[in-house]
Amino acid sequence: MSVRAWRAGALVIALVAWSLCSSGGARPAAAQGVPVGTAQNAMGTLVVVRTDGIEHRLQGRGSLPLFEGDVLRTEAASQALIQLKPGIPVALNERTTLKILSRWDKAGGTTRILRVSRGGVWAKAGAGANQLEIETPAAVAAARDAEIDLKVTEDGQSSLTVVQGTAELGTPFGVCSVRGGTASVGARGTACTAPQPANVAGAVSWKQAVTQ
Amino acid sequence: MRRILVVLSLGLVAGCADMQAKETEDAPRSRVFVANESSNTVTVVDGDSFQVVATVDARNHATHDLAVSRDGRWLFATNLASGRLSAINTRALETVASIATGDRAHVVTLTNDNRQAWVANIGENTISIVDTGTFRILGTIAVGKGPTGLTFSRDGRFAYVSNQGDKTVEVIDTASHRVLKAIPVGTNPHFLVLGPDGRIWGTNTGGTDIYVIDPVTQDKIASINVGPAPQQIAFGFKGLQGPNAYVTVAGLNRVVVVSADPSNLRILEQIDVGQRPNGISNNREGTRLFVVHEISNDMKVIDTGSSSLLATVPVGRKPIRVVYHGN
Repeated sequence: MSVRAWRAGALVIALVAWSLCSSGGARPAAAQGVPVGTAQNAMGTLVVVRTDGIEHRLQGRGSLPLFEGDVLRTEAASQALIQLKPGIPVALNERTTLKILSRWDKAGGTTRILRVSRGGVWAKAGAGANQLEIETPAAVAAARDAEIDLKVTEDGQSSLTVVQGTAELGTPFGVCSVRGGTASVGARGTACTAPQPANVAGAVSWKQAVTQ
Repeated sequence: MRRILVVLSLGLVAGCADMQAKETEDAPRSRVFVANESSNTVTVVDGDSFQVVATVDARNHATHDLAVSRDGRWLFATNLASGRLSAINTRALETVASIATGDRAHVVTLTNDNRQAWVANIGENTISIVDTGTFRILGTIAVGKGPTGLTFSRDGRFAYVSNQGDKTVEVIDTASHRVLKAIPVGTNPHFLVLGPDGRIWGTNTGGTDIYVIDPVTQDKIASINVGPAPQQIAFGFKGLQGPNAYVTVAGLNRVVVVSADPSNLRILEQIDVGQRPNGISNNREGTRLFVVHEISNDMKVIDTGSSSLLATVPVGRKPIRVVYHGN
């Protein structure tokens, strides 16, 4: 083998080794699992608490990886925009706390879940792997091919407004199909209310600045 | 003509045999399910032959408690370390869903109509309500400190939750999901079960006693000392005698037999079992007990009529809970 061939071989090996290292095999993120999304923008501050208690803060635009089990929190006068893989934008209004979870089932694969304990979120869910469920203390909203806004009060009362498409709002006492332009409420100990026409533009006006 | 009749007869016989084979194939079998906390698995045992049929991977960590549907097709398993509920198809013998409930998912109980699984999350003091059809979490109920036991009244109007930290059993109205009452019961209450008389039976694992709650008055109406660290309770008969409550007492390595009459609770007998017995279940007829042992990693099958050992079945590591489903 010529010297040139040896050099070429060594170069290829070095490139492969560098590629493997930089692909993240030994990065701390790999120890936490595969990122499930990124935090992309925060007006004010978005606090991200990892499962081991480590806290990260995003202020302004950025690309903070998000992992399953992370708790995201905004305080007064703060809003945030995150992008869940494979392409679900979610905005957090002020005073919102949510946890990123998932459910796996053999038939449907993995469903991304946001467990919101307080505040408000806007989300645009797609079909298939892009569907999203939002759990609250009193209800669950399931969105597929739909744009939704969900507000959760301190006592868990959950108000779902569907901007476009159709979503479901379920409580332990029943499920409502909520179409675009309407809203339904789920409260503890009751079935969801029959969907009523809603001021959709007003419901989602809060997220304009943070999603721009 | 004779040949045709012979062929037809043979065909009929073959058809009947085929049908019988199908009925046998579809015939429900009795099963015993064991949650193995340190193996993250569920051991499936034939309820009649006591042979291990399968070991199911729960696809989670620290598999702790079990609840089986009335038709026996579904088994739900909590996983303490994962904070998740596994849904297991008992025909396919496979975990088909993993549902995030809450921190330290401890016990699971199905509502009387089997439409919901209620999961007590000891790490966050909540009950998660899971739709058993869609596997969605429909809501949560805030309860006291350290919920570790969960059962429903016969009529389904009330749920009972034992809270280790508060030393109480809370009564929840299932129509409104509001906590109606907290009943003081004793030290470190743990397991709860609906008794054959419609009353609620519980163990104070941090103490030495078991107790009975009347669902009419929602009061603790009786208790009896059975020994250190009582764990779980099953019910059965000893011939004509019964129903009796069979209590695993970890500190004694025994099953203590108590008359199941709350007006006259008394110890009838003590049955030696293996090291640190925890889970106990009975067959539908109340003639067999299935007892699992955390140290020896096995399940003992006991005949209640003679209080004798019928079989010892190896299971996974650190078995905690055993449930029986018979047909």
